[in-house]
Amino acid sequence: MIKNVVHILEHDFRNFLRYKWWLVGLISMNLADLFIMAVVYNVMVSSAVTQSYRSYFDFFAPGLAVTGLFASAFMIGREINMERRREVHHYMLSLPMTRMELAIGRVLSGGLRGMVYMSPLLLTCFIFLGFPTIPQLFLILGVLLLLAFGISGLSIAIAVSTSSLEKFITARGLVYYTLFFCSSVFYPLSLIQQLGQDGKFPAVLVTLAEINPLSSASDMIRSFLLGYPAFSYTSILNVLAFSAVFTLGAAFAYIKLIERK
Amino acid sequence: MSQIALFGLIASRMINVNSVPNYFRYYVAGLSVMTLYSAAIFIGFDIYEEAEHGVFEYLLSLPVSRRQLVLGRSIGGGLRSFIYVGPLIGVSLYVIGSLNPIAFLISLFALFLFAFGVSGMSITIAVMIKSSDRFDILMGVLDALIVRLSTAMYPLAIVQASSPIYGGIASFNPVTFAADLFRWGTDVTPLQNPLLPLLGIIAFFAFFTFVGVVIYDRRIEGGGWQ
Repeated sequence: MIKNVVHILEHDFRNFLRYKWWLVGLISMNLADLFIMAVVYNVMVSSAVTQSYRSYFDFFAPGLAVTGLFASAFMIGREINMERRREVHHYMLSLPMTRMELAIGRVLSGGLRGMVYMSPLLLTCFIFLGFPTIPQLFLILGVLLLLAFGISGLSIAIAVSTSSLEKFITARGLVYYTLFFCSSVFYPLSLIQQLGQDGKFPAVLVTLAEINPLSSASDMIRSFLLGYPAFSYTSILNVLAFSAVFTLGAAFAYIKLIERK
Repeated sequence: MSQIALFGLIASRMINVNSVPNYFRYYVAGLSVMTLYSAAIFIGFDIYEEAEHGVFEYLLSLPVSRRQLVLGRSIGGGLRSFIYVGPLIGVSLYVIGSLNPIAFLISLFALFLFAFGVSGMSITIAVMIKSSDRFDILMGVLDALIVRLSTAMYPLAIVQASSPIYGGIASFNPVTFAADLFRWGTDVTPLQNPLLPLLGIIAFFAFFTFVGVVIYDRRIEGGGWQ
């Protein structure tokens, strides 16, 4: 089984590395967010935020690594959707391996590609914010890996459920914006909770922001590197639940839906 | 829309009111210009699709001059981006809730020229590069730099305070001109001299439309599309 999964990983990584200049472009865009947008926001963000997180730059750097991970782990969905439209999936289904090996291989490769893409962003974050201890580093990498598998699974589930590129892109946009903006990636969770208490933000979106795995991962890195917010084991559970649901869900969706005409 | 409802609303809570008194209105106005820019860029991707499907040769065989062709493409690209962004501009106007009629008409005219100019820029770069992958990368990087180094998301004084280099670039950025004029038209922020950004947008439009014609004319034939 492992050998077949490794073949799928190799296939997907070759595809990934074919677009290396595209990846360099994407990383530079992410870095522009950090070194331009976050630097300018530093000047105008209120002291309530900077007191807890030193500066907006420091606050945003972990969030940026998580958004980079999300965007790159999601790329596998686009490829699978394209394979389906161009009927390359018939070739994939004809390979001498079980459907489960194929599905697991796709989910794992999407997640691992996300980790590879995210690593320069995480390293940049460590360089500017300071390095975590070895156990903290392993915990960060472990949680991000789980998150990457979950995101990869989510994108595959969307890819096999949508018949056209337009539908996939629309669904992706909805998921992107909801998960990005209803999280603590760009702003502290306390701000969203405060808006909810004031009745200016729907309670369901506040809850979504609280259980959002992007919030959990960003805040966990912040708690290790900036000392705030306090580390909570709930964040690990959030990511674990998200990963388990979407990794398994995507594997079964891939097996069931890919054979549909 | 979700950027207005989610990012705009929440981010406005973390901005110091002494820096930007009402960041929500400021951001909503800037978002319309950012989206217009991104929509107008899309014409370049269409050119690659036409080259890939052989539509390019058909267009070249039409009884129109190259100049008319590129001018038509620029204006078409600008107009359709306007149609695309129209609902967002409508929502922005509703959310902002104020309007200076004459200033708004001038700013709308400036936004039209801005959209034509961005389409012209996209076409010019697409026919110069002739590689969809490189174009995709370059447009992504340009988008990140042009939008972030402008006043679309933050006032010029703040950009200058963060870095004089960023401030210098933002001062001459067409996105800055368009965003400042739109905010002036919607009464979000005053503008001491609206003529300067208007002239900046006219210069941007003229450069990419007329230089675009020359480059298009030289590069359009001979294949080499990747």
